[in-house]
Amino acid sequence: MANLSTKYLGIQLKNPLVVGSCGLTGSVESIIKLANNGAGAVVLKSIFEEEIQLEFQETLKKELGYQDNNLEFFDYYDYQIKNDVLTKTAELIGRVKEATDIPVIASINCRSVGEWFSYAQKLQEAGADALELNIFKMPQQTTEAADAIDAVYLRIVEKVIAHVSIPVSVKLSPYFTNLGNIAHRLEGTGAKGLVFFNRFYNPDIDIDNIRVTSGAVYSNIGDYVLPLRWISLLSGKLKADLMASTGIHNPEGIIKMLLAGAAGVQVASVLYKNGPGYIRDMLYGLEKWMDKKCLNTIDDIHQLGKQAMPANPELFERVQFMRYFGEHNG
Amino acid sequence: MATNIEKLKQERDAAWRDEIRKSKKNKERTDIPRVHMPEAPAMERRHSYVEVNSGLITEQAVLEASRCLDCPDPTCISGCPVEINIPKFIKNIERGEFLESAKVLKETSTLPAVCGRVCPQEKQCEASCFYQLKLKKEPVAIGYLERFAADYEQQSGQISIPEVAQNNGVKVAVIGSGPAGLAFAGDMAKFGYKVHVFEALHQIGGVLKYGIPEFRLPNRIVDVEIESLQKMGVEFENNFIVGKTATIDDLREEGFKGFFVGSGAGLPRFMNIPGENLVGILSSNEYLTRVNLMGASQKGMDTPVVCGKNVAVIGGGNTAMDSVRTALRLGAEKAMIIYRRSLEEMPARVEEVKHAMEEGVEFLTLCNPVEYIGDSTGRVKQMRVQKMVLGEPDSSGRRSPVPLEGSEYLIDVDTVVVSVGVSPNPLISQSLPNLKVSRWGTLEVNPDTLQTSIPDLFAGGDIVRGGATVILAMGDGRKAAASMHDYLSNNQA
Repeated sequence: MANLSTKYLGIQLKNPLVVGSCGLTGSVESIIKLANNGAGAVVLKSIFEEEIQLEFQETLKKELGYQDNNLEFFDYYDYQIKNDVLTKTAELIGRVKEATDIPVIASINCRSVGEWFSYAQKLQEAGADALELNIFKMPQQTTEAADAIDAVYLRIVEKVIAHVSIPVSVKLSPYFTNLGNIAHRLEGTGAKGLVFFNRFYNPDIDIDNIRVTSGAVYSNIGDYVLPLRWISLLSGKLKADLMASTGIHNPEGIIKMLLAGAAGVQVASVLYKNGPGYIRDMLYGLEKWMDKKCLNTIDDIHQLGKQAMPANPELFERVQFMRYFGEHNG
Repeated sequence: MATNIEKLKQERDAAWRDEIRKSKKNKERTDIPRVHMPEAPAMERRHSYVEVNSGLITEQAVLEASRCLDCPDPTCISGCPVEINIPKFIKNIERGEFLESAKVLKETSTLPAVCGRVCPQEKQCEASCFYQLKLKKEPVAIGYLERFAADYEQQSGQISIPEVAQNNGVKVAVIGSGPAGLAFAGDMAKFGYKVHVFEALHQIGGVLKYGIPEFRLPNRIVDVEIESLQKMGVEFENNFIVGKTATIDDLREEGFKGFFVGSGAGLPRFMNIPGENLVGILSSNEYLTRVNLMGASQKGMDTPVVCGKNVAVIGGGNTAMDSVRTALRLGAEKAMIIYRRSLEEMPARVEEVKHAMEEGVEFLTLCNPVEYIGDSTGRVKQMRVQKMVLGEPDSSGRRSPVPLEGSEYLIDVDTVVVSVGVSPNPLISQSLPNLKVSRWGTLEVNPDTLQTSIPDLFAGGDIVRGGATVILAMGDGRKAAASMHDYLSNNQA
């Protein structure tokens, strides 16, 4: 029988299936279900900088009194909200650690350096095994150059790493001019893991009612090809652990990512669709495939991938649908 | 509180008002420039606790009162949270009837000498003055005139003690002796109740004493108001923490039939940023209470306060201004306000900001602390601040602060006073499990009656609003008194 245990960010996982940051990782009851169904680790529901700001705005809108008489009371209320959110997350970490034996990765979604590094410290104190930083700032100004934005991302990661001793990973966006370079520079800051990729909220337009709506919330089964490409391209070039995320909906998805060199996979959408019990099905599928291929460990899959795929995988570098590429079968 | 338009009209039609109006043409009135409040010289007062605003002299007050046009539709009244009959008290000043003017104030305001000093009139009555609205000129100095009339009465020794109904034998308890509690106590005493005020601290007056420094509101002004209440039969008990010394249930057993919670919001908030626990960093509540109430600025006191040379105060409200100006008076060589928005967005009164600037306070606006750095003994020695820029307007209509990445720098400090807001003290709510509390710890009340989820418990002021001006807190106290009177009358029947 195959041994699914693996290491991610230096932490021992009983298998490479990690439940990514989502609503399912927001409560202790739900996380216990995920753990009981075999999840290798969980990334807690993110603490969103943006969400805190929105709640602050809402609070001001509803509660600001006559002639702004209580403006002083609410002027710094965002700090109170942050503190409440952090306290709740710290409590969640404590309860999950008590109720399960799986590693807990805390997640922060931020756009600025600010004082977020101190919050990372608090999550570490609460018992988080690692920290995932989900950094993305939608560039709204056409005058803002990409390198300035990159510098902000690097600074956030540097700052957080300087203030915590637990391993830190970064969940990336695919939208970089040179993704490999930013991955390399992030690794240089001390990030122990890189997660490919963050799935963004996508607005859409309702053409009947002519209004902006939310696009599809869940990932699709075909979405895995983007992380697969980048993990294949960067595997072996970086020391940081690579984690696949987005579009991994079945055991085949896990296998492909492991073959490409991923330390593990993060799943979320598929669990919303099929429930936590589907973790068992995915792991069973992986195990069955490993048995069929006579592979005993996750490292065996990695080795197989390295052997099977060229050292400089030009197939993953192709981007244009040239005629012969379209006809390519292999 | 709806303004009684008919009554206002009737009063305006009084012969003496008509005569005063006719004594000057409107043009003559509007040509008079607004009075300037006499102030103690900035460089002298920054080292003393002398009251900064020294008050109008009689001639100034009468002249300023003559600017008031006694409008048929007095919009200023609608700007006052307790709807003081503003033209009536001002016209009494113009005709020299200062005691009468004070009486008009007292019809609706329990603490006019206090409100005349600390209310943000520029956002309230003065913002709704005809001069401001229609003539685009400086409004009548309603706040200065209010203070003048109230001070005149206090100094005259002819303080009118309101009539009190015959004692009805019903005991009611007031928790907290701030503006809401004092206003409630006064009205309940008038209705004939036996009123007992419980104060957690060792002095009566709540935020008026512990929060507002002597240079802005001298304690003697508050004491006069408290003496009036004592003369009306209100009893005060210091050092009594309801919820700890005795619970509401204990007090019920002692025969109290109704309770008014006006315990304010005295629980300091912090930013929870790294290093905030270093020695030398304290809340404005602690800082001001130690100085204002415990004599910490005097030598030889058991509970001294740190007298830093480089003092940073975080925040932009009145409490921050009080703290930074207190720091100057304690001997700070450099006293700074660190505020993450710009001057324009500060919640502090314009006058307080002006006074602080005159006294030499440095304003580091569009700056926000992100970390404090200590020395080897655990004392704060530096703070890391991040520069901010103003983004889009938020729900308060003010532009939001947005961090400017890569702009952090260090400032040398030896004392930091954190003044980023307060929360209600949870002692009362923790001792009463059935009491409904909002997510920010304020008590939930019926807005019409100020009755809480516990029928014999009413509440007002900061414990309900989070933060309120003195006059709003007083208004709550008076509204709650009327509601409790109804409740107890119906209950007894």
